[in-house]
Amino acid sequence: MGTLYEDMVDYGGEVFGREHLETLRECVQCGKCTGGCPSGRNTALRTRKLMQMALLDMREEIFNAPELWFCSTCFTCYERCPKGVKTTDIIRTLRNLAAKEGHMSVPHRMIGVYVMKTGHAVPIGPAQMELREAVGLESQPPTAQHPQNKEQLEQVQKLFRATNYDAMIDFDWDTMNLRGMDKGGKK
Amino acid sequence: MGDLEEEYDYTKIPPTGSAEGIAAGAPEDSPRIGVYVCHCGINIKMTVDVEDVMRYAASLPNVVVARHYIFMCSDPGQDLIRKDLAAGRINRVVVASCSPRMHEPTFRKTCSDSGLNPFYYEMANIREHCSWPHGDFHKEATEKAKELVRSAVARSALLEPIEEKLVDVKPEALVIGGGVTGMYAALDIANGGYKVHLVESKPSIGGHVAQLSRTFPTLERTASLLTPRMIEVGAHPNIDLMTYSEVEEIGGYIGNFDVKVKRKPRYIDTEKCKDCTPCIEACPVKDIPDEFNEGLSTRSAIYIPFPFAVPPAYTIDAEHCLLLKEGKCGDATLETIKEGKAVPPCMAACPGVIDFEQKEEIEEFTAGTIIVATGYDLVNPEVSAEYKYGVYPNVITSMEFERLLSPGGPTGGKIELNGKEPKDIMFISCVGSRNKQVGNEYCSRVCCMYLAKQAYLAKEQLPDANVTVCFQDVRAFGKGFEEFYGDVKTKGVFYMRGLPGEIYKKPGSDRVVVRGENTLIGEPYEQEADLVVLGMGLAPNKDVESIISMLKLSTSVDGFLMEAHPKLRPVDTATDGIFIAGCCVSPKDITDSIAQGKATASGSLRYLVQGRAVIEPAISQIDEEICIGCGRCAEVCPYGALELDEVRHVMTVNEAICKGCGGCNSVCPSGAATMKHYRDRQVYAQIDALTEVTDVGRLAEPESASAAEVAAEASAGAADTGSETGEVEGAETEAVPSAG
Repeated sequence: MGTLYEDMVDYGGEVFGREHLETLRECVQCGKCTGGCPSGRNTALRTRKLMQMALLDMREEIFNAPELWFCSTCFTCYERCPKGVKTTDIIRTLRNLAAKEGHMSVPHRMIGVYVMKTGHAVPIGPAQMELREAVGLESQPPTAQHPQNKEQLEQVQKLFRATNYDAMIDFDWDTMNLRGMDKGGKK
Repeated sequence: MGDLEEEYDYTKIPPTGSAEGIAAGAPEDSPRIGVYVCHCGINIKMTVDVEDVMRYAASLPNVVVARHYIFMCSDPGQDLIRKDLAAGRINRVVVASCSPRMHEPTFRKTCSDSGLNPFYYEMANIREHCSWPHGDFHKEATEKAKELVRSAVARSALLEPIEEKLVDVKPEALVIGGGVTGMYAALDIANGGYKVHLVESKPSIGGHVAQLSRTFPTLERTASLLTPRMIEVGAHPNIDLMTYSEVEEIGGYIGNFDVKVKRKPRYIDTEKCKDCTPCIEACPVKDIPDEFNEGLSTRSAIYIPFPFAVPPAYTIDAEHCLLLKEGKCGDATLETIKEGKAVPPCMAACPGVIDFEQKEEIEEFTAGTIIVATGYDLVNPEVSAEYKYGVYPNVITSMEFERLLSPGGPTGGKIELNGKEPKDIMFISCVGSRNKQVGNEYCSRVCCMYLAKQAYLAKEQLPDANVTVCFQDVRAFGKGFEEFYGDVKTKGVFYMRGLPGEIYKKPGSDRVVVRGENTLIGEPYEQEADLVVLGMGLAPNKDVESIISMLKLSTSVDGFLMEAHPKLRPVDTATDGIFIAGCCVSPKDITDSIAQGKATASGSLRYLVQGRAVIEPAISQIDEEICIGCGRCAEVCPYGALELDEVRHVMTVNEAICKGCGGCNSVCPSGAATMKHYRDRQVYAQIDALTEVTDVGRLAEPESASAAEVAAEASAGAADTGSETGEVEGAETEAVPSAG
């Protein structure tokens, strides 16, 4: 394990390109990212501060900060950054590293649970089913969530097992939910 | 690297020493080369084994003597060369030291002072090309230094003498651009007693500075500083002022630039114009955005840009004048005026001064030197779309705010928007500069201080207003700047760190909301404002592209004009006799612009006073015996230096225009076009020497190749190319104990 910066460039570099992650060092802390952040308006997300913390190698602090998960990846800061810092790629890399080390936020893990159970990050619920029926459609479209497509869902689950995603989010196959959800989902 | 350092302990090498070369007994009329290896203090010596390089040099063909010395450029260093020349030992000089850009002129002069043609001098760059980039590789750097020396020696043997040529310099200068930079350049030359042609495209000189309210950090009224200088320029007997004029064509070369200037018609007899106002009142076109007031007010088609304009004369704007644009103003047409019948209202208001028959005029003259001072444009404020310039009237540029602050501006110097005084004013720095997204990575240098000044003046005029400057850094680097920045803050201007993210309209109000993060407390804010001033950056003037191509100037990646050297030759260009100054080179304030303007005057006067200039000697030469006059060379020549001699049907080189770029040399199908000092055989010898297979350049090979194999191959290679290698007989080292 190198510094957080080095890990980011190595790990995130494979996905986003190393040169994207290397822009982190160009940050001048002008604050234009936080200043226009739609999430930061209502949440504790301070994009500028995250960039500085990453440069300061504050690995544990970042990985344990709930606001790391508050970015909606809208790319507003990414487009406006005067120094061309690839902020969104950097945040996504930080999240990937945090997740790898078991720090994924509960809501993000819950999305994994939905995919595991239905094949959808946003499953079709009773309200949508009613709406579909009202306009003359079958209550459920022919996706992995449809009971007749159980095989497809099993394939999704197989993929999750093969990639160890189930372990990453601490998925309990017996309860088909996060382990210890009764204790707040913390590991 | 520990072992190598021990092996190449640079402290053990004495400051000088010499070795007799293998050609020591060669006849006097053959090339007899002296090679001088420089330590550059420790810059070269700490990486390259200079003694080893010297011994190697002594083993090269045609080398009579090789020496090393701690500083070849020093006087004792040059003395080594002088003594060898005086003793008649050598007739060629090779110095292995730094870049030719650094010391080629030094050593050429050493040669010429001792009676050797300076073009018998050759340089091997073993610092920039060797010791500096390969600092950790002593052995390899030493071997590379040997190769570079071998290459220089091979070329040196084939060099030819060249005579330097002089051209006469017409003792007149052309200054392009009548802003503060061009004005000061023109004044210095004119006051030095030489004639200046000053060309300005606008109706008046004064440039952007004329638009400014006050200066920073001294808060003097710009108009009162500038007006006396403008009047001086306008009245100076040595200044031929051409306003409302554009340079059409420039040809020629240093000392003899042929210039054509287009004088646009003003349709006014400037001699008779009394600078009164009845014509303005009479003109029916009144809604033209006033450029001088940044569009904050309107003007007529007949106008004077500002009250203290020089020359103090009106101009009819042909793009908007009804008579010129549509052929008819009221009942008047050009015909009715001729017939003495109906005249337009302006002529009626001011008879005998307006003349619609004026035509564009071309003026031609010759100038010895040229100064380019074409200034800047503000960056388009719409590039940072999140600040909503052009969407909300509350968002204005810093130049518009200058006009609001100016007594001669649209509000008479009152800060107001639609007749209302703002209560909350916010300034935003670095708009359009230091920004990769808008393509301007550079800092515009003046924004920090003009924003400080504007915020100060805002607080002074409206003490109850909240004045906030949003910044990412404050660069208060100039004389008195930091102190002024302190004063501005003490005055009550709040500096909020962080660039705002965006601006939006407050619903149900005519105010806007600036959203950002105060990065020092790490908290976002949303602050209401009636007026937001964008601290606009400076960009190169877009209207001067034709001048750039006419003069074949280079631009840097940022689009500004490029200096001959960014540190050492800040106002020179690659072309002798052409200088650049002011904001066309890079953004700068009034002080620095004036300094550069005066620097170019000094550079020009050097030629004007002497009346002659040395021209580049390493230029193209046509072998008329071979040339078939096909003209391919003329097609590629970027300087227009080649012409066909119709009678003899061969190409000829204008020696004053040719820059020695070598384009003709490479396209000439018959080999008639060659470059003096860069003959094919000289260059090929250099390449051959570099690519020669010897033991030099073959270092510890991977284990697969044994040392014996390498040695065998090397000696075979040496035999093939016929190069002479072997032990240096009688190599001696004169160890001189270093003083102190």
